[in-house]
Amino acid sequence: MSVAIVTGAGRGIGLAITQRLMADGYTVLGCGRSARGAAFPEGAHWVQASVASASGAADILRGAHQLGEVALLVNNAGVQVEKSAADSLDADWDAVIGVNCRGVFNMCRAVLPEMERTGGVIVNIGSISASAADPSMALYNASKGFVHALTRSIAVDHGPHVRCNAIAPGWIMTEMADDAFALARDPAAATADALARHPVGRMGTPEDVANMVAWLASDQAGYVSGAIFTVDGGMTAASPLNPGLF
Amino acid sequence: MTLTGKTALVTGGRGGIGRAICARFAREGARVYAADLSEGGSLDAPGGDAEFLRLDVSSEDEVRAAMARVGTEASKLDILVNAAGIEIEKTIEHTTLDEWNRSFAVNVTGTFLASKYALPLMRKAAKDGTTASLINFGSYDGFIADPGLAAYCATKGAVHALTRAMACDHGPEGIRVNAICPGYIDTPMLQSFFAGDGSGGGGKDIGALQQAVRDVHPMRSYGTPEDIANLVNWLASDEARYASGQLWVLDGGLSAQVQQMRL
Repeated sequence: MSVAIVTGAGRGIGLAITQRLMADGYTVLGCGRSARGAAFPEGAHWVQASVASASGAADILRGAHQLGEVALLVNNAGVQVEKSAADSLDADWDAVIGVNCRGVFNMCRAVLPEMERTGGVIVNIGSISASAADPSMALYNASKGFVHALTRSIAVDHGPHVRCNAIAPGWIMTEMADDAFALARDPAAATADALARHPVGRMGTPEDVANMVAWLASDQAGYVSGAIFTVDGGMTAASPLNPGLF
Repeated sequence: MTLTGKTALVTGGRGGIGRAICARFAREGARVYAADLSEGGSLDAPGGDAEFLRLDVSSEDEVRAAMARVGTEASKLDILVNAAGIEIEKTIEHTTLDEWNRSFAVNVTGTFLASKYALPLMRKAAKDGTTASLINFGSYDGFIADPGLAAYCATKGAVHALTRAMACDHGPEGIRVNAICPGYIDTPMLQSFFAGDGSGGGGKDIGALQQAVRDVHPMRSYGTPEDIANLVNWLASDEARYASGQLWVLDGGLSAQVQQMRL
């Protein structure tokens, strides 16, 4: 049975990825800093550990090996701190870089020796904000740039047995995005404005990202490695300046 | 004076951006030809310091004649700036074939023709380690789209690819090829975009619209033709002797950010 590790699997995009991979026949090991939640599906396995430490990554890998060979690693865990570079504290650096950069590195390093022997796929969750900035998200934006560059490095260094790609999601409706709209001065207008910036006419769902993870993990993507695939409903194809909205 | 002794030709040289480039080149000591459809150009204003040269860049005969004149009078061409361009403010469904063809005739074929017939004169300027500089006009619209500008976006993408191809082909001859990719620059073309009934202003208050557009820019303003001329001048000068094959985005940071949703 193929084992897939999904980090940050407790909710949002990670939960949708877990459900999709289970449906595709994987044995899924999810992990997160919290204890297993009620929403986490029966039949999937859970390890409570932080990817930010090498010992946490080792715990996760040990849990996976009890299930079988790791065929797929999905580095989804990520945190964001909404601050400019000037306002960011050392603790913010540790939190964001610790999970988004070191965490991805820790997990990749942990699975690569095995994957080089048996073959495997790594899918990292990057962001559209790696190539164009979201305001007041300095460390987050930078951390996703790291993820994209590490993705290419792993693809180059560890092919042909390992394929490594990243997905750059745009606006995906998770609890985090729901909060942003709820706090808007005029939630209805904010929602309409956001929709107008998406050529496909809707915001993304966690399932949209899970669909791409499933495809990248499959043999259909056998010739795809070192790539960054944007899943954003066309948002970044359009200029940020859309006079029709003013 | 960074361009002393150099000869330059600027297509669209009487337009908003072209005029600023000509004025800057003249100040820097170059001999400048402003090539355009009419003396007043799109600004419909009196000419500047540059020598006016009537030119429709989409006409092979006229381009050939223009370069022959430069060859006779100046014997070489150090700098060619392909700044002539037009913009059709429509989606492809509303764009007629004639409008599509006209966009490509000016923006792409014009760049091709002017470059093709300038190259022999530019080779004469590129010798003894001095480079000649060919500068095309792309656009940030060649990377990300403004709504209702489909043909324009496509022509600028073509110019970007042509720029890299020409840089590869003519670098060994000492000819540098770059493209400037402006964002929102205060020109007659931009004002038309604001005032037009396409996807621009669409009859809204132009002052309020312009302020809103400024506010979306990290620099909180849109650019001036002089801002563009500053970079064109650098690329034209010997300071830029190692700069080639690049697409130089100059947009006040506009395309460095993701969409600014209004929460």
